[in-house]
Amino acid sequence: MKIGVYVCHCGGNISEVVDIKKVMEFAEQQGDVALVKDHAHMCSDVARKMLVDDIKEYGLDKVVIAACSPQFHGRTFMGTVEKAGLSPYVMEMANIREQCSWPHYYQPELATKKAKDIVKMAIVKARLDEPLEKKTSPIGKRVLVIGAGIAGIQAALDLGDAGFKVYLVEKEPSIGGKMAKLSRTFPTEDCAACILSPKMADVPANPNIELLTNTEIESISGFLGNYDVVAVRKPRYVDITKCTACDKCAEACPVVVPNEFDEGLSSRKAIYLPNPIAVPHAYVLDDKSCLGLFPLACSKCYDVCDAGAINYDEKPERINFTVDTIIVATGYEIFDPRKKKVYEFAKSKNVLTALDLERLISLEAEGTVLRPIGRRIAFIQCVGSRDELVGNEYCSRICCMYATKLSQLLKRADPKRDVYVFYVDLRAFGKGFEEYYKRAQRTGVKFIRGRVAELHEDSHTHKVRLKVEDTLTREIIESEFDLVILSVGLRPSEGTTKIADTLRLIKSPGGWLQEAHPKFRPVDTLADGVFICGCAQGPKDIPDTVAQASAAAARAIRLMNKGEYEVDPITAFVDEKLCSGCGICAGVCPYEAITIELKDGKRISRVNEVVCQGCGACVASCPSGAQQQRWFMTSQLHAMLSAALGEEV
Amino acid sequence: MIFERKPLDIDKIKVTSGEVHIIKDRCKGCGFCIEYCPRDVLELSEEFNIKGYHPPRVKNPDNCVECHLCEMLCPEFAIYVTKKEDAKVSAR
Repeated sequence: MKIGVYVCHCGGNISEVVDIKKVMEFAEQQGDVALVKDHAHMCSDVARKMLVDDIKEYGLDKVVIAACSPQFHGRTFMGTVEKAGLSPYVMEMANIREQCSWPHYYQPELATKKAKDIVKMAIVKARLDEPLEKKTSPIGKRVLVIGAGIAGIQAALDLGDAGFKVYLVEKEPSIGGKMAKLSRTFPTEDCAACILSPKMADVPANPNIELLTNTEIESISGFLGNYDVVAVRKPRYVDITKCTACDKCAEACPVVVPNEFDEGLSSRKAIYLPNPIAVPHAYVLDDKSCLGLFPLACSKCYDVCDAGAINYDEKPERINFTVDTIIVATGYEIFDPRKKKVYEFAKSKNVLTALDLERLISLEAEGTVLRPIGRRIAFIQCVGSRDELVGNEYCSRICCMYATKLSQLLKRADPKRDVYVFYVDLRAFGKGFEEYYKRAQRTGVKFIRGRVAELHEDSHTHKVRLKVEDTLTREIIESEFDLVILSVGLRPSEGTTKIADTLRLIKSPGGWLQEAHPKFRPVDTLADGVFICGCAQGPKDIPDTVAQASAAAARAIRLMNKGEYEVDPITAFVDEKLCSGCGICAGVCPYEAITIELKDGKRISRVNEVVCQGCGACVASCPSGAQQQRWFMTSQLHAMLSAALGEEV
Repeated sequence: MIFERKPLDIDKIKVTSGEVHIIKDRCKGCGFCIEYCPRDVLELSEEFNIKGYHPPRVKNPDNCVECHLCEMLCPEFAIYVTKKEDAKVSAR
């Protein structure tokens, strides 16, 4: 057996701490080691060429790379070794950066000693490595996109245009999400509805997209290439193919409730059009506020519907389908400002959220004035963001810019207005944002750095009195305003939290969905074939959301386009002689990959190797040592332990 | 989110309103109308009718939206609703 050992300097990251020469000398003394080399950057093209040449020239059959974490460059070197004609699974990485030079920066001698141990462990493991072969598995071209806000719409359209079958599932009766509520979008001030509605209209027009509105995901099981989805379509009671959106039903309906689309500022009937640009453009009956369907109480809407579109007998419908990959675009909710009691939201008439103001401005543009906006207006920034008192440490990233936008829209509509923005830090980081902020200042919006300490609405005049310290001039400002706007932050939507549980996705602090790698795999998750995009992954603006949605579509296409995909052979397998069929392994398997079967009258555990993700839980739980994991065999782990403990192996 | 605020246009929305008429002596006090009224318009009265039952009484006349459910459910044809001509502003 010939093992080649390569020690990387990592451009100083390792060599500044670890004595590379000593590690190399140590490696040379190990049995079966035929070649030891070092390089400033093992991951560089030139070093990898050297590795390929060495494997061929010296006939190496095992390789140890002492460098960074296998999480970081494992795939890189596996590919290189494969190029030289070896199995990618005879390559071992000794992590002497993340687990050695970085944490032990101030103890170079001990670090060198530890580096030797780590290299030795990799060598003894490599000795026992078997040349496993990659497997391929067939995959179809069906995608489930969950959530039809701008992120889901963009991902679905990209996939549909590329010829993939898309199931677009939305729990609300219309697609469009939060973006449909906005007035204009920063920094270009495009009208949100004008740029969104053509995209919304493209969805039902795309022959590859099956749009399922008013539908929620009940369960998802299976694995990449074979996800079984159960969705439940809630009854709409209106046939979308017959409804002409004539509004007669809503006129006749005697039930008035707050309109969610206008954040409860306006009202709607129990049968209603979700919003003016709704897709599908059909009414929906809200059975929670309707006078009653069983027994049927009123039926005034049915009586006036000329199209015969109303059917009170609709029942929830379960829809089953199978997809190959999944894109999660379940979005956000705004922070509930009632949790921040100091701002007296919902108690004061003249304290609104920024989303309320978006609706007021949009409705005004459409010709409906719900309330006067007033002359003196204050924006309070960071409501529910960067605030540990409410448990949200993160920055919501969009509030600075939407306040900049809304404030100058108000100022421009009436230059006599006094518009103030009380901020903590003003973050104008995106393309064109700083210029847009400057433009707001030129328009006459006054930006004052300071967190509002006190807010009180006068019970007679309804003017809102604010007390705030200008932290730049150290002046205490006390002033009255006609309207106070809370720039509320974002939080993960209920759907985001729910789908994380259904798909077993990892959440990052704040409850957002965690990507597989923040820089190099920003839309992947650790679940194979599940991608995330938009605000489900974290707060972001529309350009970033659209870019991420297209990225998620591209990543999904990358997996499906070839018609087959590679599966790691790092799976568990059962030694049938040792297995007693106790079933403990099946109980601990988080992927439901293990079944207990009868074979010649004996209960035996069987691993579905396509489903197995190689987590090792079954191996650790097996009381008789019958479960083994390829590439991490018990014999290999024992050898590594012995090496670490200084025993002869 | 649960909306605590009253919609700003609530005073402008017109809905139908009805007037409930009770033929007390037909009533046998089954209480279906009270139980099933979706707007909580009715309640049981203390008085006795000719048969010795408690007929219902209108508790919240403004709540009636003229849905006629009580009329359809009443086994004794003892209750009916007429439409009030001036469509009222919704009260909620």
